[in-house]
Amino acid sequence: MSLSQELVQEHLDDPAVLCCRRPAGTVLSGEDFEDPTIFDDMVESHLMTLTDDGLSIRQALGGTLASDAEALTQLTPDMLDAVAGISDTASVKQPADKASHQPTAAAPEPVMPSVVHPAGAASTLTADGILHLHIAKGEGIDLDLPLNGLPRIAASNEEGQSAGVDAHDVALGGAVSGETDAGEAAAEGTAVGEDAPDKVLRTLVKRNYPVKQVVLADTTSYGDGVLSIDTSLIDQAKQADPLVKDITMDVIEPDERHVYSNTIMDVIPIAAKAEGKLGEGLTNVLSGVVFVLTGMDEAGVQIHEFGSCEGYMDEKIRFGRPGCPDDGDIMIRVDVRIEEGTGMERRGPFAAHSACDVIIRAIREKIATLSDEDIAGTEVFKDVRRSGRPRVVLVKEIMGQGAMHDNLLVPSQPCGVQGGEKNVDMGNVPVVLSPNEVLDGGIHALACIGPATKEITRHFFREPLVEALQHDEELDLTGVVFIGSPQVNDEKSFVSGRLGSLIEAMEVDGAIITTEGFGNNHIDFSENIEQIGSRGVPVVGVTFAAYQGQLVVGNPYMDAMIELNKDKKGFENEILADNTLTSDDAKRAILMLKNKMSGIAIEPPERRWDEEVIASNQKLVQ
Amino acid sequence: MRVLSQLCERTVIIAHVFPRISTQNISTQESQDQIMVQHTMMKLTTSPGLRSEIYVPNTPKPVWTPLQKPLSQCSVAFITSGGIHNKKQTPFNTAGDYTYREIPSDTPSDELMVTHGGFDNSDINKDVNAMLPIDRLRELRDQGFIGSLVGTFYGFMGGGGNVDKFRNVTGPEIADKLKAEGADIVLATGGCGTCHRSATIVLRACEAAGMSTCLIAALPPIARQQGAPRITAPHVPIGSNAGEPNNKDMQTGILKDTLEAVEEFDHYGQLKMLPYEYRHNV
Repeated sequence: MSLSQELVQEHLDDPAVLCCRRPAGTVLSGEDFEDPTIFDDMVESHLMTLTDDGLSIRQALGGTLASDAEALTQLTPDMLDAVAGISDTASVKQPADKASHQPTAAAPEPVMPSVVHPAGAASTLTADGILHLHIAKGEGIDLDLPLNGLPRIAASNEEGQSAGVDAHDVALGGAVSGETDAGEAAAEGTAVGEDAPDKVLRTLVKRNYPVKQVVLADTTSYGDGVLSIDTSLIDQAKQADPLVKDITMDVIEPDERHVYSNTIMDVIPIAAKAEGKLGEGLTNVLSGVVFVLTGMDEAGVQIHEFGSCEGYMDEKIRFGRPGCPDDGDIMIRVDVRIEEGTGMERRGPFAAHSACDVIIRAIREKIATLSDEDIAGTEVFKDVRRSGRPRVVLVKEIMGQGAMHDNLLVPSQPCGVQGGEKNVDMGNVPVVLSPNEVLDGGIHALACIGPATKEITRHFFREPLVEALQHDEELDLTGVVFIGSPQVNDEKSFVSGRLGSLIEAMEVDGAIITTEGFGNNHIDFSENIEQIGSRGVPVVGVTFAAYQGQLVVGNPYMDAMIELNKDKKGFENEILADNTLTSDDAKRAILMLKNKMSGIAIEPPERRWDEEVIASNQKLVQ
Repeated sequence: MRVLSQLCERTVIIAHVFPRISTQNISTQESQDQIMVQHTMMKLTTSPGLRSEIYVPNTPKPVWTPLQKPLSQCSVAFITSGGIHNKKQTPFNTAGDYTYREIPSDTPSDELMVTHGGFDNSDINKDVNAMLPIDRLRELRDQGFIGSLVGTFYGFMGGGGNVDKFRNVTGPEIADKLKAEGADIVLATGGCGTCHRSATIVLRACEAAGMSTCLIAALPPIARQQGAPRITAPHVPIGSNAGEPNNKDMQTGILKDTLEAVEEFDHYGQLKMLPYEYRHNV
């Protein structure tokens, strides 16, 4: 492959290697050189060797070949009759350019770190409140000055420095305070002090009610730490869908986990709205207990498995992961048997989730009205608009490929099924949830994919990256975008395109994008990153790749990546949620984004997955 | 206007990111740019030295065997990483499996089934020809569109595949067997994303062993990135890569167009989108 003019500029200091056979007398230009980005692969495959005394492309350009030379020959001074710039002191590769071996060079300059004046133009904002604009050279320039906006420019301070501009005036167009309604705030352009308070958009309080014991009985109730579940609910649950053929329910105590289980489809918190709608008000949560949905079909085939975590529960669950039961949690297992052959079709797993929800729903009705006497603790979550801080968005890619690859968005009750919209039915287009909506059970996950990488319902209920970004006072988290990964390639491009437009409209300063699973969804993942990165927005990608999930596609914007693997050998190890996002991963992702937004270079990755890289990155997180 | 809007945009950024700029103790000589940088560091907690944790791949080197005969004289093989096997054979491990199953090319299609966890199986459950178009291939042979079929096709479950095993074991083994059976052309379907990678690895082994190959891809970006020598791409979902179930015309059309593309492509890495569209209404 020869080099375009653009690539030549990018690789001037890389080794000059002929792409094709060239006869003596050839005057070398870009089209004679091989693309340096493949050299690492070629050297590794012993298809070529590189010496230190070779010419750089800069040096070889314009030189004349002294004799015929074969493809993939590295050019050295003796091979050329005339060498341009060979006396240059520049060596073949400057350390500072090391990154160009990785596809980073095309990434646009981050928006934040410096002010770049357009060519020949400069401006200052001075104490007299006048915008002084100097344009040295130009043509066809029309100036439309919105003068009625200028009074909001703050006066200079006493030392006569360049004046600042208050963030709220420009970015939000209005002063805001504590609980001010968004509409009012946006309408007024009042100047505010420099310490404008953060604006709380909504508050969610999760009230935890402890469960010490679960009994299966003839009534459903909660009191004194005892959850009683009416066993007749099982019969009701069987009626939820004709595909459901049988259901069993049992209680697994924390010290009796060496129990064989069918594959685990989901782990579902028991939570109900006591006040307000999803994402605000009060949510009552039973703590110390979770539902675990398992199942197979009538023929004995595990349901919706891309890999299965069937086996002994103490071995097949990574307890303590955000999506999993914690060490001390009681598990209420609901095992559903569905019609033969439907386990890998969309309707089968959904029937199982619907059936399980019948039982949980009955409990929700009981706990929605609990008084606050029995509360063991509360957690408070706030959707905050932090004016003047860099605006960031979290994009979470979810599966959207039919079968079991589906999710319910914004059900009417936390982690519920009813009222939720399936992202597959919505065409997988990006949908924005507020951080609080996510943490209040706004996603009921039907996703199957590999057990070790899938983000299940409890994961979203306590998503570490959402929580960390929401609490980070240096950042203004605008929202959480959910985008599906469709089954058809054309649709993948369509939804990625919509994400790009959405990001553009949100005017964010940075983005983190995560995906569960690996393989075909990495097409979406890379395209989504490109859609964001190509708009000049610094972006960090978070996924499982390691050994088994090595990226199948890539682009130059994927230069800041966080690895979710926790398996020693880098595999999808079929242990539930083992390779999902933890709070450590969240911290690295946020630090990497802050670095990138601040213009601090992210070093290129090793060519092969290496857990040491993750460990040393982790050390940099405070 | 453009110049001004750029200036305004930058001004917004100054204000937006650094609201407390006027309170900082910075001498008047310093340029706005310097102030910006200084404040960037003050606003965000950063820590230099982070390394990106995931390698982003380059496409591997070309491998190419030109087709030397007319289609009507060619012996054609078909392989799939979409998890197809005989109902009597051991099912694949859906978590990742580099083993393969031999499928005699005269196997009745109703004796075949799918074991694959990477995509919606309902189309293959309706008609296995949606992934392994075995009936259509026999029809094309009987019509004389192609010369013959090799005795054995191969099915494997390429999802989550172990790259080294496919590259060093499965690929070379299948390539050797197909070469021994006299295959001139090897066609393949992928399945899921990593299946496309596994299928491409095996096809590259076949191409290197002297057979002309083509991947019928539902996910052409993966096929291309992984270095498939030839790619055709109908607009179909993963799970029915070879065409809509029970749509004989579409399946035949995709196969014929693909075979003609093998004849027509004259260099490595060519891709042709095929004019067939099927939207799986799951």
